[in-house]
Amino acid sequence: MTDVLSPFERLFTDVDAVFLFDPSSSFFERFDEIESVDIVVIAPSNDLNAERFVALPISFGEFTDRVNFGIEGALEAEYIDDGDTVLCVGSVFDDEVDTVSRVRVDAESRSGVYDLLVNSRPDEIVIRDVIELAVELGQKGQKGSPVGALFVVGDAGKVMNKSRPLSYNPFEKSHVNVGDPIVKVMLKEFSRLDGAFVISDSGKIVSAYRYLEPSAEGVDIPKGLGARHMAAGAITRDTNAVAIVLSESDGLVRAFKGGELTLELDPEDY
Amino acid sequence: MSWTQRITSGFDAVVDLFSEPFFQALLVIVIGLIAGYLLGRLTTGLLDVVGVSKLVEGTATERWFQRMGTSTVILMGRLVSLFTYVAAFLSAFLILGALDGDVFWELATAWLPHLFVAILVLVIGIVLADKVELIVAERLQGIKLPEVSVIPKIIKYTIIFIALLIALGQIGVDTTALLVVLTIYALAFLIFGVVALQDFLSSGAAGIYLLFNQPYAIGDEITLDETSGIVQEVGVFVTRIEDDEAEYIVPNRRVMKEGVTRIRYN
Repeated sequence: MTDVLSPFERLFTDVDAVFLFDPSSSFFERFDEIESVDIVVIAPSNDLNAERFVALPISFGEFTDRVNFGIEGALEAEYIDDGDTVLCVGSVFDDEVDTVSRVRVDAESRSGVYDLLVNSRPDEIVIRDVIELAVELGQKGQKGSPVGALFVVGDAGKVMNKSRPLSYNPFEKSHVNVGDPIVKVMLKEFSRLDGAFVISDSGKIVSAYRYLEPSAEGVDIPKGLGARHMAAGAITRDTNAVAIVLSESDGLVRAFKGGELTLELDPEDY
Repeated sequence: MSWTQRITSGFDAVVDLFSEPFFQALLVIVIGLIAGYLLGRLTTGLLDVVGVSKLVEGTATERWFQRMGTSTVILMGRLVSLFTYVAAFLSAFLILGALDGDVFWELATAWLPHLFVAILVLVIGIVLADKVELIVAERLQGIKLPEVSVIPKIIKYTIIFIALLIALGQIGVDTTALLVVLTIYALAFLIFGVVALQDFLSSGAAGIYLLFNQPYAIGDEITLDETSGIVQEVGVFVTRIEDDEAEYIVPNRRVMKEGVTRIRYN
């Protein structure tokens, strides 16, 4: 066996930290006695009572997204430093551990996915709920005709002042929260019509059918994305809101913060 | 002797035996022992069926009982048995003439049931207190503050205190002094609650009005008591208003006291 392992030895030398993605308790215990490197657990909740822990609010379909999130979270908590080498251990195919990847931490080229979810103005749970809503809308919409939607989350007062109604607001004098179970059906119906949904910091749906009119000057989003994405990028640059877009043409869910694209999810893999 | 005479004499012997106080007393004790045992088993079984053993699972009392090799449910059964035995023995003493009739009735109708109820109340009180402590502690688990662990303890001892009060009242101990303590305690709690919560209550009442009528909505520019800005959030207790520099969190009762100015541009 050593003959097979020897070419890979380089992978496991000079490692500063080991990241365990949602490990089972028995697997985690095997790392108990290792003291030469820091062990960081990245999981939805800290059931293992790990000393170093990063909470994973959404279950990213892609392993690279999970790694990015974990590294950015660990940087924020100062478990690791810029330039460190991290060994990421997780699963790609099944629930069992099957993947190890060696990543060099580069603070400059962060995707900002941790910052988007944890350090944004709206509650983390609200952003997560909206992303899940958009993903579900993407999955369901693809069976019939694809739907597009734009959610502007947080800083609702300012967003309302930078937009105008396209029609009567169905959510006027209502108290609907994005976390409510009935919301999915409701929003699916309303997403047939044009315009953006405006959601407050605490998750209350303030309005639908809003035409956003921020100044799009200097907003740099990837070429080829439509007017909906441009509006999303521009409104997040003008306000402290986060925008989550479900694309009608390619079916992807994208999140914008500060005028920049920070997260891209495929509802099919989610 | 013919066989009829024989039967009559046998019958007489039996009657003689039954009219013997000693035998009657023995019979009463035997019946009492059997009935007590059966009643105890019945109680244990009944409590088990009703789900009491599930209910008390995990409480400190139950764990303590278990270390003694018993459980709350078994103990309740034993209690019922014990009281039946005592009643049987007392009846036996009455039959034997060792006990005065008045004293017996005093014991059987007043003292014994009261003692039984007192012990029952005490046991139920302690178990209930343990259970409530457990539930409250579980609820408060999300709050990571060491001082919070005092709250379940306070609730537990309040329940035990009340149970003790009822139990002592049952066996005729004068509980006036303890009742005064309880009253003062409850009153202090009430006053503390009213003082601490009055702002919350008035804000909440105003907040309900605001949520139903929506005199202003998210995105409106308002002036509230020298604070101006855009409404960001309307909650039950507070309204969040934001201007370019800061976010103001204004309690809703101030909206009702001072009124709100809505600024319109068109």
